[in-house]
Amino acid sequence: MKPKVCVLRTDGTNCDLETCYAFARAGGDSRLIHVNSLRHKEEKLADYQILVIPGGFSYGDDVHAGKILAVELTSFLKEQLEEFITAGKPVLGICNGFQVLVRTGILPARRIGEISIALVSNDSGHFECRWVNLLVEKTPCVFTEGLAGKCLRLPVAHAEGKFYAGRETLQKIAGQVVFRYADENGRPTQSYPLNPNGSLEAIAGICDPTGLVLGLMPHPERFVEHTQHPNWRRFDSFGEPPGLAIFRNAVRYVKER
Amino acid sequence: MIQEVRVINRPEVPDPVGEEILYEIKQALGIRSIQKIRTAKVYRFEGIGENEAHLLAQKLLAEDVFQLYTLNAPAIKEARAVIEVAYKPGVMNPEAASLLKAARDLGLSSLLAADSSREYGFYGDGIGPEEIQTVINRLLVNPTVEQVVAEKPATLIIRGVPGRTQLLPIRDLDAQQLLELSRDKLFLNLEEMRAIQNYFRTIGRDPTDCELETIAQTWSEHCVHKTFKARLIVNGEEKTPLLKRLQQATAEINHPLVLSAFVDNSGVMEFYHGWAICGKVETHNSPSAIEPYGGAMTGSGGVFRDILGTGQGARVIASTDMFCFAPPDISREEIPPGCLHPDYLLRRVVAGVRDYGNRMGIPTNNGSVHFHRDFRAKPTVIVGAYGILPKDRCKKGKPRPGDLALVIGGRTGRDGIHGATFSSGEMTERTVEVNASAVQIGHPIEEKRMSDAILEASAAGLIQAITDCGAGGFSSALGEMGAETGVRVWLERAPLKYPGLKPWEIWVSESQERMVLAVAPENVAEVLKICRRLNVEATVLGEFTADRRLVVTYADEKVCDLEMEFLHHGLPQRVLRASWKKPACAEPALPLPDDWANLYCRVMSHLNVCSKEPIVRMYDHGVQGTSGLPPYGGIAQDAPNDAVLLTPLYGRECAVVISHGLNPVLNQIDPYWGSLWAAAEAVANAVAVGANPKETVLIDNFIWPFPDEESLGALDRAVDACVDFARATGMPFISGKDSLSSTYRSKDIMLKIPPVLCVSAFGRLPDIKMTASADFKRAGSTLILVGKRNPAEMAGSVYYDLAGCLGNNLPQIDLQVLPRVLQAVHRAIAAGKILACHDISEGGLAACLAEMCFGGDLGAEIDLPAEARPDFFLFNETAGCFLVELGEADPGELFAGIPYLRVGATRPEQQITVYQDGKELFRMELKMLKEAWQKPMQKVFG
Repeated sequence: MKPKVCVLRTDGTNCDLETCYAFARAGGDSRLIHVNSLRHKEEKLADYQILVIPGGFSYGDDVHAGKILAVELTSFLKEQLEEFITAGKPVLGICNGFQVLVRTGILPARRIGEISIALVSNDSGHFECRWVNLLVEKTPCVFTEGLAGKCLRLPVAHAEGKFYAGRETLQKIAGQVVFRYADENGRPTQSYPLNPNGSLEAIAGICDPTGLVLGLMPHPERFVEHTQHPNWRRFDSFGEPPGLAIFRNAVRYVKER
Repeated sequence: MIQEVRVINRPEVPDPVGEEILYEIKQALGIRSIQKIRTAKVYRFEGIGENEAHLLAQKLLAEDVFQLYTLNAPAIKEARAVIEVAYKPGVMNPEAASLLKAARDLGLSSLLAADSSREYGFYGDGIGPEEIQTVINRLLVNPTVEQVVAEKPATLIIRGVPGRTQLLPIRDLDAQQLLELSRDKLFLNLEEMRAIQNYFRTIGRDPTDCELETIAQTWSEHCVHKTFKARLIVNGEEKTPLLKRLQQATAEINHPLVLSAFVDNSGVMEFYHGWAICGKVETHNSPSAIEPYGGAMTGSGGVFRDILGTGQGARVIASTDMFCFAPPDISREEIPPGCLHPDYLLRRVVAGVRDYGNRMGIPTNNGSVHFHRDFRAKPTVIVGAYGILPKDRCKKGKPRPGDLALVIGGRTGRDGIHGATFSSGEMTERTVEVNASAVQIGHPIEEKRMSDAILEASAAGLIQAITDCGAGGFSSALGEMGAETGVRVWLERAPLKYPGLKPWEIWVSESQERMVLAVAPENVAEVLKICRRLNVEATVLGEFTADRRLVVTYADEKVCDLEMEFLHHGLPQRVLRASWKKPACAEPALPLPDDWANLYCRVMSHLNVCSKEPIVRMYDHGVQGTSGLPPYGGIAQDAPNDAVLLTPLYGRECAVVISHGLNPVLNQIDPYWGSLWAAAEAVANAVAVGANPKETVLIDNFIWPFPDEESLGALDRAVDACVDFARATGMPFISGKDSLSSTYRSKDIMLKIPPVLCVSAFGRLPDIKMTASADFKRAGSTLILVGKRNPAEMAGSVYYDLAGCLGNNLPQIDLQVLPRVLQAVHRAIAAGKILACHDISEGGLAACLAEMCFGGDLGAEIDLPAEARPDFFLFNETAGCFLVELGEADPGELFAGIPYLRVGATRPEQQITVYQDGKELFRMELKMLKEAWQKPMQKVFG
């Protein structure tokens, strides 16, 4: 049985089709589900094994990126989300989806309604679209199993991706940092444009303490085929594209449970 | 009572918005007294109390992690001055709807209206009021759409009572009065005004304002292309009308892959696996000249809707942008009255394209920026879009009598009234004042969800016909869709942004993000259901009839009743005279350069050669996950590729290629050769990445000065060039557009903006693997220059421009040789024989070589032929030539029968060495060249 993946979309979601494809390529059975279908109970989150909130500009990123959708989820789907997370099912937020997970409070501590970290405007003040190096830290994150210690390349494309939190929070979540922006040698970096947004401690993605919820600014769904790499012509082969590995890990986790 | 919430970043958190403006204040304005800027968002709410406002602030507006808020109190403290900038009332702020939605979701049902704006606090001891005013005028406020808020508004709700329809007694007007009526409003000439007068004399009544507006819109240059359809007398002899010439060439070529040419909102060609691809390129010069951000946004939005409105609905897969501006460092005194400075225009146009494309989720991955001081009165802003659709739904649909007309998407407001007629007129010093309403702020999320709904309805087979509600609004969309049948419209049903519009205003409003569908009555309920689920408003506005009349009522009032025959065929065909004399351009006699290093750097940092990467980085060019070749690639991702390659069908290897070419400078010398250059450049860019010339089609965009006899003569030559090019290469034009208003007039001056022909090319490839990029792959490879050029043809080149001259001897592309060159390069790439390929354009072989070196982090040495004049050889810009990095392949075999020359080899050292006849001419560090090449745009964009 292929795990059923709910690709949640709403007004302004725009990375939904490629995210759907990425999960399908990784062996999932992905469906595009509009948030209205959940609000009107035509669909139930409980019928799915994986939830992904893809990238885009939900509701135009008005007020803060992902905020309006976060308010909607917190107001209408809190119980369904809590039930989904408690059931031990993987949740992935990519770019705008990461912003939504942070603004609902699902990240970093699975407390819906309690916001303790923020993704704020890039230091450059504008949208940045480029490929970055990412160091994968050792964490319980199910999406990065087998990748810890490696340095991956993935693209970022966002205007509000600077990871920001108070010092105390940063210390508390130190073990939950999954991805850091890195230089060519795999060392975390604050220098622009390697760290494209000025994220504190070069944080590009974090998980919750159980490792089942992952949020990241880079776009793994944009690197599930060789020819998506900007310089694929320079290499004969470079193994499985790392984006695909992330989706495969989630699908495998659900299958093996 | 209005509640005001102000949100500001905590003092320890940076304020990138403020920092960016501070940079611009120092960079663009040279003001040093301002040391710091803090910004705050201001939110206003009507209909709620203080407690509810606190709740909104805490749950929605301010995030305690990094922000603070105040309620009904200032947030920026101890600044020398605080300035609040807001949209003018009536300019719809896209954020307002989100505020209302989120408040509803939080349970606040009493909220009536919401708005947002931004405050800027200026810090610094010596700031004078005149400096603040300069910052306001030049950076913060565009008075067309924005204003400084002096006091708290009393209400946020726009009220008004609908106006009545008026009769305009034109039957007795004399010539002078007819022209007076036309001026600034209808933009029709006397003969056309008389045709209208005669029609109403014949039917024995006067027109309503709505009827007159309908006719003016339908007959506008923008909508009906009078010049391109005119009878043309060139140098005393009648020639085939321009449009017909292009269409005839396309018909004669009879390309087997072309599915729809010149009839739908975009041109369509066959793709693979039952799919078709389509392309459309539009200009948006006039709105962008007066409000660049809104103008560029609505330009993108409009061209995306053209794709969406092709066949029974296509999905947009790519966006392109081509701009021409005056140099960003031009002095302010040189800018004509009523025109905006290019530094501001450039940054705001880029921001507009960025915010629309990124938010819609459409990759913007091909484009260019050209600079010439003659664009100082009006920029050229060209935006293109490409789409994919099922082959069996790719033909333009026809409404049947009884089908219902649905308007779907955004609401109608007063924005964009007279856009179609306005953009057909010339720019004058009065333009900004009179036509402010012709611009609005786009709402990409509205368009995105509308697009989602249309694609779903299309896939379910529910759409009979579809068209964009662009220039001319309902009048254009319904008038055209119902041209063959007739249509009956109930205008009072149109959802409005605010009350108070007159019926004719609703009818011609160009509010964005709206489309009109023709839907069979039995399918309407299903379409409405899809729309509801996706938060899209849809309304049945009319019904297609069989009486060939355009009948519009507003409640019990008949506001328009016209025969379609008169509306669409009553326009007198223009008879236009054209003549062209080659301008006297002198050919300079330049001495050989002595400082090669300095010259090479100056060429690389010329505005038309330099890197445009800072612009591209702000566009999301990877969204949709289809990129197979990014705009900037190579080891450091900073070297340009010639075209974009996309794989739009997930899991399949077939690819779309998209490219373009233009050269306004050459058109000033001779538009025939300039236009051939543009077409050759477009196609060469595509072929350089692997495109098959046999499976590539073209789009034309003529952006020309007002067609007086001389400009029309130039246009005639440009069209001839397109036709000759199409016939010689077998590549048909399948879509096109003209914008003939690139003239600026004021009391004292008349300025013709350089004529621009932009040719876009798109095509298909069976396998993304059969393509090439421009970055050198390894040291020791052979470098081959492929293609025919005469190095002495230097006129219009960057090299001449740096010497302060234009020249006369311009590149004359050989149409006998070019097709064979294109075919050979394509074949060699498809066979995998070529490691890297780059087409030669501005900056010539030298710039091409440097860019390829940047991409591969490799150097090169080249050896110029003994007989060549070295500067001409290095900097000649003949399009249709390529620099190719070869692996082991034998060039004699690959390029048999076409001109080619072995010019050198790649090297591991980070430098370029140029020899002539074995003797070293000069050598250059790559680092220096790259710095020179990257600096100009870094300076503009910070």
